[in-house]
Amino acid sequence: MASVSVQDVSRNDLPWLVEWRQDKCVLCGMCAAVCTADAICFTASRGGVRGAALRQRAEISHACTGCGMCTKVCQQDAVRPVRNPDNRFPLLARAGGPLKRGGRSNLNPPRTLDKLVVGRISQMTDPALDSERHTFDLRAPLGRVLPVQDLPLRVEGDSLALTAPTPPVRWIYPLLFSDMSIGALSTRAWEAIALACAYLNEQCRLPVRMCSGEGGLPGRLLESEHLKYMIVQIASGHFGWNRILRALPRMKTDPAGVLIKIGQGAKPGDGGLLPAAKVAPHIQSIRGVPRATLHSPANHQGLYSIEEAVQKMHLSCNAAFGFRVPVAIKCAASATSVAVYNNLLRDPYNICGGFFLDGIQGGTGAANEVSLEHTGHPIVSKVRDCYRAALLQGRQGQIPLWAGGGVGQTGHAAADAFKLICLGANGVLVGRLLIQLLGCVGNEHGRCNACNTGRCPAGICTQDMRLVRRLDVDRGAQAIVDYMLAFDAELRKLLAPVGNSSLPVGRADALVATDKAVADALGVTYAC
Amino acid sequence: MVRIKTLDGHRRRSTQELLQTIEAAVLRGDTEFDIEASGQHDIGGPLWNREGKELLFRVRNPGQRVGAMCLPGTTVLVDGPAPADAGWLNSGGRIVIRGDAGDTAGHCAAAGVIQIGGRAGARAGSLMKHDPQYEEPSLWVLRTVGDFSFEFMGGGRAVVCGLGCAPAVSPLGARPCVGMVGGAVYFRGEADDLPEDVLLSAPDDNDMSWLKAGLANFLASVGHPDLLPELSDRRQWNKITPVPFEQRKRAPVMDMGTFRRNAWVPGGIFGDVLEDDGRVTELAAPGDERLRVPVWNGESCRDCRLCLKSCPRKAIVRTDGEKGVYSAACARCVGCGLCAGLCPCGAWRMTEIASV
Ligand code: SF4
Ligand code: SF4
Ligand code: SF4
Ligand code: SF4
Repeated sequence: MASVSVQDVSRNDLPWLVEWRQDKCVLCGMCAAVCTADAICFTASRGGVRGAALRQRAEISHACTGCGMCTKVCQQDAVRPVRNPDNRFPLLARAGGPLKRGGRSNLNPPRTLDKLVVGRISQMTDPALDSERHTFDLRAPLGRVLPVQDLPLRVEGDSLALTAPTPPVRWIYPLLFSDMSIGALSTRAWEAIALACAYLNEQCRLPVRMCSGEGGLPGRLLESEHLKYMIVQIASGHFGWNRILRALPRMKTDPAGVLIKIGQGAKPGDGGLLPAAKVAPHIQSIRGVPRATLHSPANHQGLYSIEEAVQKMHLSCNAAFGFRVPVAIKCAASATSVAVYNNLLRDPYNICGGFFLDGIQGGTGAANEVSLEHTGHPIVSKVRDCYRAALLQGRQGQIPLWAGGGVGQTGHAAADAFKLICLGANGVLVGRLLIQLLGCVGNEHGRCNACNTGRCPAGICTQDMRLVRRLDVDRGAQAIVDYMLAFDAELRKLLAPVGNSSLPVGRADALVATDKAVADALGVTYAC
Repeated sequence: MVRIKTLDGHRRRSTQELLQTIEAAVLRGDTEFDIEASGQHDIGGPLWNREGKELLFRVRNPGQRVGAMCLPGTTVLVDGPAPADAGWLNSGGRIVIRGDAGDTAGHCAAAGVIQIGGRAGARAGSLMKHDPQYEEPSLWVLRTVGDFSFEFMGGGRAVVCGLGCAPAVSPLGARPCVGMVGGAVYFRGEADDLPEDVLLSAPDDNDMSWLKAGLANFLASVGHPDLLPELSDRRQWNKITPVPFEQRKRAPVMDMGTFRRNAWVPGGIFGDVLEDDGRVTELAAPGDERLRVPVWNGESCRDCRLCLKSCPRKAIVRTDGEKGVYSAACARCVGCGLCAGLCPCGAWRMTEIASV
């Protein structure tokens, strides 16, 4: 018998216990073969084949993540991960430094969005609409929308003529595939999302756009017609931008937009992080770096104030595409968001084409857990605050507000989107939802979230081709398309009862809150 | 003949007063009415003579819902225009409007005949239906109908003659026949904006004989018998019917693989930087896809053959010699580690193969 001391790590210290039923197991070996965490192995409890037993490794570095791949392959229903509430993982795992992981915050406070109900129904006051047959206009702006009085128009005979160019505006679907970089995602996962985006545009007539993330874009996409569905991102690391610029002379079309990433909701104040395990050769070439853990600075170096950010970054990005492409900016939601938005609204050059706010429930491929859990700002009140700040100045709708961070977290993205739009968002961003549709098994209750390790069991957040080959691009893209078609139908189902033919941006009167504090904070009616 | 005036100097009879007067007269046995209305609603129905005699209402200046809920045996003649909902829920009456009718004329009509000698407004004929126990309803319009007409139509026939309609303008307005599931709409001219689940065709012989007979009656009723030759040109008529429910298909959808092969960047967007043949492996894949690989160490092996017996994939090969030499056949081994776990001598060891 090996000696055991009290300080030894035991199975019971780990967040997941692997439950194995010897009476059912036929020793087919599949469970251990598929486990990317190498959390389970076989041992001989007695001699001979019949004495084999499945054992969970009692090692922090091989802790079961609860991904359930073993259960998925087991034909005998003999193995499954079970959550271990008494684990000591947060204490023990810090021995190797700060905890890192992917996913979202797992603290799960009650969601504000679930305390809001679409409570203002058109009954006798005005007609509700037929959600299936009425013609709805579901598009949202990306780009600076000039108020009528500022339009540079002159009467010329019987018609109006523009006397100066107006800022570019794209009217796009109010749900945007949010920025997950090449590198954070596997090639197949990234391509599946891009493919779904093109399919939605070309086969389903939904003008959905996708943001590239901060890892650049594949050259073939830059030089294809499909670039028109892409919003290219520039973050503090500027990864991949030399390729984007080199491709300019060969571009067949402009991209849909440029998104300047200042920060993200999952880890505000922290730059991008791509662990070395994921810096595969193609990433090295697209990003122009050797294999190493890649940190993006927490800040765009050379930007020291909001004014500078607006002038320098917006001007450069506008200029890169001849002022034909809207340029927006993405920040983590913060107690300071309104100040930033006010500043943007005062921009005299009309070169800010959107303010993207990312709330604390946003996902990430890799972050320090302390940032994930303890920094950030819930999205709902911040969208509302920004909208109301613009409203007070009569400038609502001029710089479109896009909200992300937890949209669709409970699977019901249309309701989340609709409520955020009623509170003042022009559209919403989804990221994690998309990879969950591709097959990601992670959740907000600590399941999997191994996206930073390079061992994603679903082949999504990894560059290990053995795992990437697990992912079927066509099936994944189809799952996203199917969800989006349901999303679209559900959005209409919500528009119909409030009697709106177009998106009810800022129509907070359509909502009631079942929580008094939420009602007061958001300025909506309290209902009980 | 009962003559009713509804204005007495500055006093106007309310709808309720007028309808109660009419009802009392019908109960007494009166069958013919001449009503000088001033916007009163619901004139004409639902009324019936107790001896089964026909009822006739001549009306001028009616309010909304003239001929609403009309029953068989009732004729309502409106000399001039009528506002919204003329013939609403008509259940067998004959309603003739010499002038224009307002919105939702014939809405929910389920039997009887509605003849309009001018235009009808938006949502004309919407939700018309046909109860097979009774005769089918028909709605005739000399000129044009407004937007969203024949929405959700479930039965009966509607005829829009398109008279005076400007060329290249649809006599059916915008988005007609949305949600139509039954019945037929005949019209002259061109319609656009038709939904995908209706069929546009030329009327057949049966349609034409029904149309011609009905047209003669219609044109005579609305006072334009002279137009019969002009409206009888078969080539000008079209017919809209819903695609039968059984034949309705969802718009053909392209499967994702076909879309990727035909409409996507050839060879994939990463084709130039990464070799990927698109093969999808099962979760537990053998060969190069294994996460871990068993390595055999001959020195510790005591040739007990336990691994040979326990390998679930029959992947272990023993080459005979003075002492067995073991190896795991890469094509079958999935890297489960049973061999390593069971080997009493520790001869098998699982090694991670590095990724990327
Ligand atoms: S749940 Fe996942 S990590 Fe845990 S043992 Fe099973 S396969 Fe391994
Ligand atoms: S997959 Fe199931 S049956 Fe096979 S070894 Fe694992 S637990 Fe046993
Ligand atoms: S399945 Fe992959 S993407 Fe999803 S949480 Fe796990 S590691 Fe991350
Ligand atoms: S690892 Fe599993 S499949 Fe491979 S040889 Fe050993 S027992 Fe057989």
